[in-house]
Amino acid sequence: MACLLCGQPIQIDWTIGKIFSLSGVRRPHLCRACMRQFTRIDQATACPGCGRANSPQLCYDCIRWQKAGYPLLHHRALFQYDAPMKAFIEQYKGLGDWRLHLAFQDFIQPPSATFVLIPTEAGHYQVRGFDPVLGLFDHLPLHQWLQKADTPVPQAQKNRAGRLQTPQSFSVRPQVSLEKISQIMLLDDLYTTGRTLYHAADALRDAGFHGTITSFSLIR
Amino acid sequence: MRYAGMQLLLSDIQTDPSVAQAVPAMTADGRCVRCGQNLTIKLPIGLRYCPVCVNLGRVVEGQSLYRFDAPKFPPTSSLTWTGELTPAQQVASDQLLKSVQVRREHLLWAVTGAGKTEMLFPAIASVLDAGGRVGVAAPRIDVVRELAPRLAQAFAHTSIGVRFGGAPWPKHDVALTVLTTHQLLRYYHCFDLLVIDEVDAFPFAHDEALMYAAKHAVKGSLVWLSATPSKNLLQQGRAGKIGLSTLPRRFHGQPLPAPKLAWVKKAKLPKQLPTQLLMQLKSLVTTHRVLLFVPDIDWLVPITNALRQQLKVEIQSVHAQDDQREAKVLAFRSGQIQLMVTTTILERGVTIHRCAVIVLAADSPRFGSDALIQMAGRAGRAVDSPDDPVWFYIQHYTRDIQVAITTIEKLNHMKAG
Repeated sequence: MACLLCGQPIQIDWTIGKIFSLSGVRRPHLCRACMRQFTRIDQATACPGCGRANSPQLCYDCIRWQKAGYPLLHHRALFQYDAPMKAFIEQYKGLGDWRLHLAFQDFIQPPSATFVLIPTEAGHYQVRGFDPVLGLFDHLPLHQWLQKADTPVPQAQKNRAGRLQTPQSFSVRPQVSLEKISQIMLLDDLYTTGRTLYHAADALRDAGFHGTITSFSLIR
Repeated sequence: MRYAGMQLLLSDIQTDPSVAQAVPAMTADGRCVRCGQNLTIKLPIGLRYCPVCVNLGRVVEGQSLYRFDAPKFPPTSSLTWTGELTPAQQVASDQLLKSVQVRREHLLWAVTGAGKTEMLFPAIASVLDAGGRVGVAAPRIDVVRELAPRLAQAFAHTSIGVRFGGAPWPKHDVALTVLTTHQLLRYYHCFDLLVIDEVDAFPFAHDEALMYAAKHAVKGSLVWLSATPSKNLLQQGRAGKIGLSTLPRRFHGQPLPAPKLAWVKKAKLPKQLPTQLLMQLKSLVTTHRVLLFVPDIDWLVPITNALRQQLKVEIQSVHAQDDQREAKVLAFRSGQIQLMVTTTILERGVTIHRCAVIVLAADSPRFGSDALIQMAGRAGRAVDSPDDPVWFYIQHYTRDIQVAITTIEKLNHMKAG
């Protein structure tokens, strides 16, 4: 199999254990050299509120969310948003290289929950030809219960203050019943300020959801 | 016209696209017209796109490629270089010029350090003087960066553009373009002479898309330069299907340094370095700069650290994704770094004065015979130091090592022609 980023063949070190493993073999989509450029977030020292790397205590931003009256999302993320990851996102979302949606799927194994996807705007879907968040997680049982009204400026083009002032644009789709659900995990590609995910959680609570809401993203 | 000779997607174009000829960017059966490959992938929305050349902007079915004319420049006298070719270089250069004049494909097979660039000057000048367009393409950005200033000096009055991924778009039309082979995909029937340097180098070898790009970017003659040409190209040359000139001697007339073998156990590499290597490095760094090639990027840090404890000279390591790659190579060239531990990234296009070469684990399957010849070719490039040492540290004698050594020996006994 060829690496999705560099096209070189991927070497898998077959061991007896792997061959007879009952859990199945993880099939990497990236080669070792390409994988190495990305920085994993050490979960043991990540912020318990937002998953930020190297912040074992609740970070200042999370304390602000708490003070503003939001129940924390206990967000988890796998990778840091450094230069190589920015280049990956540019190729996937910017250039629209749909193949890359598979790149990290063998790493994206969140604990089981009811997975609810953060939706993208219809206009973006038309231009890209795919939903980049759905692509990253399409190996999981997903629910598309949220919908998003079109906003004039995408989050990616705003600074921090602009992002935090973004008004609510999410709502729960009609005919979705949240009654029998106790735990929801929101899924997104990137956690920057948390504004998007806290809006999504608000929308679920506004629709009458009373359980716990956590969140997960590929990048923080 | 800033886009002369280019073929672009609408999203690339900042001027009026109606002056260009629009052609479908993908054929009905799913072949990408820009890169010629038929490996499309379907987007969830139902349309196909080409993943092969997506880095240059995505080609989706239904889109157009806009092809801009490449008009002639006024005739001129372009060559400002006043150096002289050696008799052997002159012979090869004349053969090349002849092929270019009859618009024929040509292979120039010249050993590492033969002075290939200078041999090109008469052929390039002949095209520029007639108002034509010349492209000089190399697979690696480092080689493009090294070539551009040399060409700018040799053709001081000619407009020169440099094109690689991430470089700003050209502001005006240029007669001489130095570019990465990847960027060739953006040109269509543009160049009256297109030179492809280091044709055997990754990623050009085996890459059909770039071969297609080269053939489509050119409208005159295509010239391949190589120190280690493929069998296919050599056969075409020997059968007379394309022009061929061979230059088995370096410009200074001395033979290529022949690699010597050192037998060591590999088992403890990279954690423990062979004593023989340490002893040799200790004496080498007093007289030479040293390139130490290793087969695995993971070896760079432990080996660099171990050497820093043993040797009292400036030691650095470099690899393809290193942010400071350009600065480190400059510091090595200027003598601020004495010992450079590197992956094959520095195997070609780098000329260092008085440079010894050591290849650690030269028997690794990662080193093909071409790479071994190129690495050995970093040594002995200067006229006052043509016999810099080259050592291959091995545990097993491999086929690639044998091919590399016999090729170098053969070249050292061959006559030019």
